[in-house]
Amino acid sequence: MMRKVFIITSVFFAVIGIVFTILPLGTIAFLPIGITFILSVISIQQSKSNQKKLPKLILFISALTFLVVIGKVVFVKDVIVPDKQFEQNKIEQKKEDIKDLQGL
Amino acid sequence: MKKNLLILFFLLLNFGLGFSQIKSNERLVYAASYNMSGLMTQLAQVTISTETVKTTKKNFLHLNLEATTFSKWDSFFKIRDLYETYVDPVTLKPELYKRSMYEGGYSKTEKYIFSPDGRKINATTRKKNGSETKKTVAIGGSTRDLISMIYKLRTVNFAKYNPGQTISFLIVFDEKEYPVYVKYMGLETVSAGVLGKRQCFKLSIAARTDKLRGKDKNLIWMTADAKEIPVLVRFSIPVGTGQLSISNASGI
Repeated sequence: MMRKVFIITSVFFAVIGIVFTILPLGTIAFLPIGITFILSVISIQQSKSNQKKLPKLILFISALTFLVVIGKVVFVKDVIVPDKQFEQNKIEQKKEDIKDLQGL
Repeated sequence: MKKNLLILFFLLLNFGLGFSQIKSNERLVYAASYNMSGLMTQLAQVTISTETVKTTKKNFLHLNLEATTFSKWDSFFKIRDLYETYVDPVTLKPELYKRSMYEGGYSKTEKYIFSPDGRKINATTRKKNGSETKKTVAIGGSTRDLISMIYKLRTVNFAKYNPGQTISFLIVFDEKEYPVYVKYMGLETVSAGVLGKRQCFKLSIAARTDKLRGKDKNLIWMTADAKEIPVLVRFSIPVGTGQLSISNASGI
């Protein structure tokens, strides 16, 4: 019974971990990933030798998401991509502003 | 007599220019972070800049605040906010205020034209669905917009203030007038990014609005020198807490 509870909760946190990894939440993703890791290890310990396939898979997922997050933190920098539409908007707005200011 | 009047005029003008320490072509860049589960996550870049704008009639100081989400967030919640004010370069009195916001699909633009006596604004608001509303709002003679208030705050000499002392402003935001109270909390040394460790004036901002939360939870640290550069801002709003920390400064 306890084994099932650990497996279900580890699956739940693994899903959250995957979502957090996809979203640009940075190191916050370590929180559900860490919980998944601990719960999957406990599940493995509580499983019989022929029942370890699923908890091992969850453990593998937590390790994989951990590596992806590390990779994103190291390689993906906080950058601003030039937004042509936004810049064009600003230029047009400024022309309008000058007209308004002339009338003041 | 005429000559004396001219000298007096130039003396007054110089006095006025000395009062305003806000220079043209100043550019301050901040990294905006939001507190998620106790960890600060960088969301956007906020840039405040100034430039001189000349018309055939007079010169204006263009105060500009731009908030842009980092590219990694653009697919999830894109922000492109622009707050602009054209002010008198000496008194920093606003004459034209514009706000153009795009936040996760929601967009809205606002334009306030301040009357010469500063006692009313002609407000034009345009929403995403294309609806446009125009109205005249009566305001106090000293009421400003949010951006010019921030710059005006930088001209206050806090070195003469005692901790606990408060100054107040009236601002117009979303076509409503709000009193804003700024409490000087004393000197504090903070890490100011590219500017290194700096001694700063610590200020607490409070306003009669539900947009800000908590007592002394909305704080600004400004360098304790003549430039009074805001280097760190901590805010508490209904949906959480966050901060703005300076990442670049030029033209100061």
